[in-house]
Amino acid sequence: MALTGRAGLLAAIGILVVMFAPLPGPALAGVCLLLAAAIIVDLVFAGAVRPLRFHRSGETLMRLGQRATVELVVENPGPRRVRGVLRDAWQPSAGASPRIAPLDVPAGERRKVVVTLDPTRRGDRTSVAVTVRSVGPLGLAARQGSHQAPWSVRVLPPFLSRKHLPSRLARLRELDGQHPALVRGQGTEFDSLREYVVGDDVRSIDWRATARRHDVVVRTWRPERDRRVLIVLDTGRTSAGRVGDAPIPLAGAEGRGGGLPAQSSLGSSLGSSLGPLLGPDSRPAPGWPRLDWSMDAALLLAALAAKAGDQVDFLAYDRAVRAWVSGESRTELLSSLVNAMAPIEAELIEADSQGMVAAILSRAKRRCLVVLLTDLNSAALDEGLMPVLPQLSARHLVLVAGVSDPRVAAMAGRRDSTEEVYDAAAAEHAQLGRRRITARLRRHGVEVVDAAPDDIAPALADAYLALKAAGRL
Amino acid sequence: MSVDTRSPGSPPVAGASRPTSPTPRSTWRAGRLIVLLGLVVVLAAVASVLLGSGRGPARPLDPDDTSLMGSRALAELLRERGVTVDRVDSTQAAVDKAATGDRLLLITDQAYVDVGRLAELPGDRLIVGDVIGLPALAPGVSTLPQAARPRSREPGCPLPAARVAGSAHMGGVAFRGPPGSTGCYPAGDGHTLVSYANGRGVTTVVGDGGFMTNQRLAEDGNAALALNLLSTGKPVTWVVPPENPPPGELAGEQGQSMYDLMPGNVRWVIYMAIIAVALTAFWRGRRLGPVVVEKLPVVVRAAETVEGRGRLYRARHARERAAAALRAGTIDRLTARLGLGHGAGPQEVVAALAARTVEDPHQLGAALYGPPPADDARLVELAGYLDLIERQLSEL
Repeated sequence: MALTGRAGLLAAIGILVVMFAPLPGPALAGVCLLLAAAIIVDLVFAGAVRPLRFHRSGETLMRLGQRATVELVVENPGPRRVRGVLRDAWQPSAGASPRIAPLDVPAGERRKVVVTLDPTRRGDRTSVAVTVRSVGPLGLAARQGSHQAPWSVRVLPPFLSRKHLPSRLARLRELDGQHPALVRGQGTEFDSLREYVVGDDVRSIDWRATARRHDVVVRTWRPERDRRVLIVLDTGRTSAGRVGDAPIPLAGAEGRGGGLPAQSSLGSSLGSSLGPLLGPDSRPAPGWPRLDWSMDAALLLAALAAKAGDQVDFLAYDRAVRAWVSGESRTELLSSLVNAMAPIEAELIEADSQGMVAAILSRAKRRCLVVLLTDLNSAALDEGLMPVLPQLSARHLVLVAGVSDPRVAAMAGRRDSTEEVYDAAAAEHAQLGRRRITARLRRHGVEVVDAAPDDIAPALADAYLALKAAGRL
Repeated sequence: MSVDTRSPGSPPVAGASRPTSPTPRSTWRAGRLIVLLGLVVVLAAVASVLLGSGRGPARPLDPDDTSLMGSRALAELLRERGVTVDRVDSTQAAVDKAATGDRLLLITDQAYVDVGRLAELPGDRLIVGDVIGLPALAPGVSTLPQAARPRSREPGCPLPAARVAGSAHMGGVAFRGPPGSTGCYPAGDGHTLVSYANGRGVTTVVGDGGFMTNQRLAEDGNAALALNLLSTGKPVTWVVPPENPPPGELAGEQGQSMYDLMPGNVRWVIYMAIIAVALTAFWRGRRLGPVVVEKLPVVVRAAETVEGRGRLYRARHARERAAAALRAGTIDRLTARLGLGHGAGPQEVVAALAARTVEDPHQLGAALYGPPPADDARLVELAGYLDLIERQLSEL
């Protein structure tokens, strides 16, 4: 049961009655009895909550940054009207609204309540309970009860880098020799012979074939197809660090954890125009975790590689396999990937590089391009990946992609005061470590992509295209 | 190894709804044990109060109190020896008793009495502790400012009562008696027992009543001393504080308490207000459904480690390390820009740099490879200079 404000108000009026009554004791008893009787009558005549039935329908998949609606149909089989409020209790980061909806279901009828979800982060968002408070005819007391009407919505990664896809597909077509400008395909696999058209590169004329015919014939080449790309996502602790500005604010990005100042949103809006403010007091809102930027880059790479005719597999690993997608058809690949990525969060444990390499080697039997999305943290890589890297690079072509932190770059550039110079020295130290580990990786024959959060997806796509053009896959 | 084998195709979805709130029956079933236990506890408490000895709080130095602080044992001993002990709890009763004959008046520091009336009574007196109005009750006796710690003390005096009893638990207040008085159990400059005779009778002042309590009576010569002091052959009038403060003795013309002045309704209004507040609290406190918990990802900026390192540099004034980091970063970028290999030595770098900028080679060498800066200002200067070199080179 629950009471309403009216019950409290009546009791407050009762105070006045008792104050001016000639017989205060009996007056108090009378007021209390009246109030109790009214509350009991209200409870008895309120519509029953327990027999209510709930039916749900609506979306189960959505992209982060979009809105989705879930419909909740309330069926009242009882003999009395259920009038009051309803709360559909979603997890906070589902961004459900309205939080509390008015409800009025006559006996034997059903009514629909529409809940709009505006989630603030990836993952599965569920509704924990539906609670109904059914107010009695006097409006003094209410019956209250909860029901389980489970529904879950999977919030997929937003794939913001798909805006880069058309330009990279155009580059891919150039490689393919299918470009309208008749640029010679730059691949290494012989495709076909065709007649010379003005504008073709004379170096690609096949003189032997030309000699057999009356026309000048050119060879066309195409990049290799049906190669394998294995995208490995490091979900260890280094992926939890937040970098850049969140394009879509994630849950907990503001005013949470570590006592961020209230003007953090102001700081980030200023930061976009003036460069991030640095100082002990102005701490800008943290951006996205490295993991999310890496996912964005992985999705662009997967889309591009699928178009290029390569087989894409996906592995997420920290100390155990978090997700594994393999053997998907080209049309299904992206939806499978976003589905697998949606519930993954960075674990606050050191990634087990040895186990990761073992997992890769056991899954990738044939030579493939292993794209490892991790942080280029010299300390973590020195202890983890570097000792086991030769095993991997002996059998596969390895590409390590790391998201750099623009804040560190900004710190390195500011040298006006003593504090800033010390910070700049720390930033230089970090950047130097990063450059050294990059150089060491390259000496091992590993390709390295190190780019800012906004550039990592196109940079990784370009690195893939360069490898494809060079025929190294 | 735990493998998340959830198929990526389908997120978990939906089923039929079912009520989760407890029914009255299930609530009773879940809570009956607690209710029964609560009932048992309440019954046990009520029974223990009803069947208990009914002893109130301890009343120190009360001849009817059997607690450690009381003096029932002493009173019983006195009665065994044929001494009448009359317990009185008001000044009027003491005055009435005094009218019956020659008596010994025992006043302790626990009793707040009308000193003026008692002081006029004739007969012997035993005054225990720092009684208010001591100058009137025992004229000529003055208390010393420093207190004496209650402990076992030797009598050290010719007073027969004390000499026979020997050492006793004395202390509390130290007194200085009038000329002609006997002081026993010395403490500091004074004595904790002073006895003297005047026109009305023998007046004895004791600094502390500890030796008369049930707790200490059996120790030392405490019982002997107490009995010697009180067994003078006269009945004892033992003044104790009254059980309840007497009514009708309040200030004001009618002597009314605050409750008498309030209108009769106020009490009931307060009860009603409590009920109203309780109802309002229940209205506001009842939550609409459960609290929903969610595991949120950690929020930590990746740059925090770098900022922490910077703060450590600053806190320890690690100019050497800071300068080395700044120089290493600059040299790393310069060698790439100047087209030198990674193994380029200082001379090569400085020479190549001097050829492309207008800076002095010595200054360049000192900035890139010199000793660490002596203070923070020099460090800032160095950082600015390194910046300048890089900017000059990039403007080429």
